[in-house]
Amino acid sequence: MNASLDVMVVDDEETICEALSAWFIKDGHRVETALSGFQALERVAEKQFDVYLLDIKMPEMDGLELLPKLKHLQPAADVIMITAHGSIQSAVEAMKSGASDYLCKPFDPDELSLLMERLMINKSLRAENEALREQLIERQEIIIEGIVAQSEVMQKVFATIEEVAPTSAPILITGETGVGKDMIARAIHHMSGQAEGPFVTINCGAMSETLLESELFGHERGAFTGAVKARRGRLEMANHGTLFLDEIGEISSKMQVALLNAIEEKTFQRVGGNQSIETDFRLLCATHRDLSKMIKENRFREDFFYRINVITIHLPPLRERIEDVPALADHFLEVFVQETGKKIEGLTQRALGILAAYHWPGNVRELRNVVERAVVIAKGRMIGAEELTFLNPGQSECGFGPLTLAEMEAMHISASLDACDWNISRAAKQLGIDRSTLNRKIKRYRLTRPV
Amino acid sequence: MPPNAAPSAMLELICFGDTDETAAHVVAANLHAIMGLATDIRTGEPEPTAAYLPSRHQYDAVKIIRLLKQKAHNPPLRIGMLTLDLCTPILTFVYGESELGGTTAVFSLYRLMHRTPSVTYQRAVKIALHEAGHLMGINHCRSNDCLMVSAKSIDVLDPIPIQFCSACSYEISRRLKTLSSATEMRPAPLS
Repeated sequence: MNASLDVMVVDDEETICEALSAWFIKDGHRVETALSGFQALERVAEKQFDVYLLDIKMPEMDGLELLPKLKHLQPAADVIMITAHGSIQSAVEAMKSGASDYLCKPFDPDELSLLMERLMINKSLRAENEALREQLIERQEIIIEGIVAQSEVMQKVFATIEEVAPTSAPILITGETGVGKDMIARAIHHMSGQAEGPFVTINCGAMSETLLESELFGHERGAFTGAVKARRGRLEMANHGTLFLDEIGEISSKMQVALLNAIEEKTFQRVGGNQSIETDFRLLCATHRDLSKMIKENRFREDFFYRINVITIHLPPLRERIEDVPALADHFLEVFVQETGKKIEGLTQRALGILAAYHWPGNVRELRNVVERAVVIAKGRMIGAEELTFLNPGQSECGFGPLTLAEMEAMHISASLDACDWNISRAAKQLGIDRSTLNRKIKRYRLTRPV
Repeated sequence: MPPNAAPSAMLELICFGDTDETAAHVVAANLHAIMGLATDIRTGEPEPTAAYLPSRHQYDAVKIIRLLKQKAHNPPLRIGMLTLDLCTPILTFVYGESELGGTTAVFSLYRLMHRTPSVTYQRAVKIALHEAGHLMGINHCRSNDCLMVSAKSIDVLDPIPIQFCSACSYEISRRLKTLSSATEMRPAPLS
């Protein structure tokens, strides 16, 4: 260890201050002394130290009185009480009030050395801990930033994630297909206490019941035809981490019971095995189905539902947060421009208007595919309406038919604004609406004046 | 300096009471050989009774340093050597004590004694060189193979080789150069 400490010695005896200073300085530490508690507090208001050595017996303000004041100013500081042999009881009292240790005057040189070594280790561990915490916060920010969303509704979702992620409660993420439930699950894992553990995911809708059972619980050798060797299941792999069960609405009642038992007992058996295996994980589930409706229809077990649905996070479909479309489109454009190496600078206002007006049944996933396809077929430096004609197969000659009412409205407003040279009052008058309504619609469809 | 003349001493080794003279000569020779500090030996200094602490039955090393400083001597550095048990106001015992970057240090053979005299002398040399290192302004070193490591017990002291690590050696020679030039510029004493 090569660290040195900032030490403050507080003792009314000058000889003690001098002797301790000399000792610490020779050991490479930086030392300041104070002859009273008041002097120490005055100095601490300007500079904080790693270690404080306080004499218990001092006139006016003794060490026991100074200790809580110091801890109030600097809770993480190490405070060592210095006491005479006769007053060990006071030192013990000080330990109860937050002192790290105490030394009896005069000290054994070895004892003082060992104590300083321990304090240096503490300091280095604290610094390491701080650095790791910062890294984790940075990582969380990156993960949240990775989910492109500016809408108020998604900001609320992020706030909920930040609130519930550090707990160990099971979370059910609901939302239509393609809204990004898996990204939210990943973000929750990285912001949780299990972040250092594995993030194990399985799509329950993508496999048959027997395959799912084997995938989840694992199997012993010879459990079924083809089981040539034993295999660990996802429940086992997720130990000390997070298990994300996507499309949970697709699993059978039998599987729901098996999972419920495993979750509640924190033990399970592999297929074909009789040995109980312990596992401890944070459970996240996702579904695009209405599970409450499925319970009423007896297609989903109520007990299992309440076990997985301690907290619900609902992700709204893209059409309900249309203000996120331009930012998402820009984000995907950047991704695919990098991938393809094409020199595309952005999307035209017209293109953005079309994207904003589209109803996005496939949500963010569909938007991603649309931008990818547009990048592939784009010829110029901008992606315009021509690159988006495939959005509506039965298009009219202008390239956008049949249009929804919202799409028509966005395009009509855009055209009116262009015709009025973006004079809002004139355009509003021409459209037969007031200025505030027009402004609201401009905001909704993310229309901006062309440069 | 005339040819073959003894170099002027940089350090005075002051022996209190009836200190082992052989030990003093071994220490002085090593201070010169290892650190380049030409050393004079002065014997017959009376025991520092003023530094005695009756409650601890020990001698306060800090007080002895103060006593030594009160007496003016020609060499710029001085180290007191005695056979009494030393302590400081905060430590139960010390092998030696010194002013960091100062002029005066003290050490004792009391806790260094071994039935084989050569072992005692080796320990004395190590402590004297260590304290002289502090006089050069050198802090404790983290290397276990350096005399500037902080040795709180004989078990730690004995395995240390009689040498400074390269970093401490460099610092010592640099500071010694400054000290030498300052000494040469100093006017010679009148008596």
